[in-house]
Amino acid sequence: MTGIAAFAAWLGAAMIVLADGRRGLALGIGLVAVGFAAMAWADGVWVGGALLLVGGAIAVIALLRAGHQDWGLMPSGSTPRLLLAVAGGILSLWVAASVTTGPGASLRFACIAVLGLMAGRLLESKSATPALTGAAGLAIALAGASELGPNDPGFAPYLIGAVIAAGALLLPVARSDGA
Amino acid sequence: MEPELAIALPAVGAVITALLKTRPRAALVAGAVLGAAGLAAVLLAAPGLRSDQLGVSLSLSAMSRALLLAAAASLALIIGFPPPRADRALLLAWGLAGIAGMAAIAAAPSLDLVILVTLAIALLHAALGGRRPLTSRLRAPALAVALLGVGLVFARLEGSPILARFAAVGLVAGLAAALGTLPYIHEFDPEELTATSPVAWIAFLGPILALAVITRARELIPTAGAVFAAMLIGLGLLNVLWGGLASWLTEKGMSAWHYSFMADWGLVLCAFGVLVPDGEAAAVLLLYGIVLSRLPLYLWSRQSLRESIQTDRPINLLAAAMLAGAAPFAGFAARLFLLRGATQVFWPLALVIGIGLLLWLPPSLRLGRSLGAPRGRLALGVGIALALSVAIGLYPEPILSLAGQ
Repeated sequence: MTGIAAFAAWLGAAMIVLADGRRGLALGIGLVAVGFAAMAWADGVWVGGALLLVGGAIAVIALLRAGHQDWGLMPSGSTPRLLLAVAGGILSLWVAASVTTGPGASLRFACIAVLGLMAGRLLESKSATPALTGAAGLAIALAGASELGPNDPGFAPYLIGAVIAAGALLLPVARSDGA
Repeated sequence: MEPELAIALPAVGAVITALLKTRPRAALVAGAVLGAAGLAAVLLAAPGLRSDQLGVSLSLSAMSRALLLAAAASLALIIGFPPPRADRALLLAWGLAGIAGMAAIAAAPSLDLVILVTLAIALLHAALGGRRPLTSRLRAPALAVALLGVGLVFARLEGSPILARFAAVGLVAGLAAALGTLPYIHEFDPEELTATSPVAWIAFLGPILALAVITRARELIPTAGAVFAAMLIGLGLLNVLWGGLASWLTEKGMSAWHYSFMADWGLVLCAFGVLVPDGEAAAVLLLYGIVLSRLPLYLWSRQSLRESIQTDRPINLLAAAMLAGAAPFAGFAARLFLLRGATQVFWPLALVIGIGLLLWLPPSLRLGRSLGAPRGRLALGVGIALALSVAIGLYPEPILSLAGQ
């Protein structure tokens, strides 16, 4: 179950990297939110998972209700992005499964993969909406990563992560400077 | 309750000041009252005492408290003696918002929350507008958040000891990206408003963020503590040399100021890397110098830089001496502490830092001249900044004891 959720999170991050259109970005951030919410629920963090899901859902709605609607998946010249998405996934899987030990390999994989891919997305974004979607993905991954710590993180990281994920796509700049 | 109030009161003050922008006097009064109340909450907060009123355990360390007070004093100085043609209400609104964010970073119980709050600040700062496109404004701070996040994840992984070293690399790289020091210098547009420019990160938000990251990183990766400190020192020396030379040789006056902040940060990173009490004391005084001396002088010099006015009056030479860290200003005491700490750790390091300090003089003279000929309230503001620096330089104990040193 957590393995599938982690794969969904990576797939969502890869979509965010590969898409320039609002529909593609919405699908990506939705998958990231669902993946991390499922992993939180698997750890028994019910409220935290629900918060991430709500934050992700608001981000998806914000992307789908404004601006020019298209998928924009893998536009021409996106081979380096495809390589980043695949190589990032393989490298994260290697670190999570082989280099590190202990329980929670799925969460480790998802956190490293999503953080790395979102950093790549933010570095190469030329318009506001993909960059803000990348920031929303970062917030969800950081909130999910709080569960890796030795102590119970409480609800605060999930709440703040969800608020950032929801709010990033609602910023006025996101509407005026669409993908 | 004090940490919660230290965050909430400036935040409410920022919102009210922004809402009252059509009535500047009312906006200033409301912002000043709420800002002062927030300052009182910071002062009353017992260092290290946890408050759990909102379901999140918040506390302010002695050093965070000292830096928050320095930021508040700097804001008061800038609002009290505003640069020519500045919108004081707008400056106050942005300054209070920054202080609220800094208080949130300082009070956060874990590095997870520090990073998330930093991301929220990065998004709001990017949304403020400015001359650069949003992607450019968001790029470096968001990269910093990602690097800090990766560093945090690696710090928590079990397995090979090298993971802790990777964590140290992520945390130091993330910190450098957040501050805008080498190797992640933020894109700088000299004509951009200071509040929306990278100077807000390097000179206002940076000190608290650096303190939060460095203190928590030391607890997170004790096995890689020496590596972490060595990287801070290496990066610090690089910034001292690069910032000093670039500040001296660059053609644009505003960029010279930007590079001078980097050079100052180089010393701060060295001071944090020197793991002895003298290093911590140097870091506190250097951060006070950035927030309370260099930032106001930068703001006051912007107009004369635009008009290409350069003067060689005594006030310019005094400002140059303060920026160079000459006696009896605070920078001199900070440099003495730093050299003494470096000597205790590894004496050749003190030699290298000492050589780096020689680079401060030419750019400082240039920056001092760029202040122009301040008159009226501006001259009074410069005088107060100089006097504060002299007072701290001659008698740094109150500041150091406030910071728990």
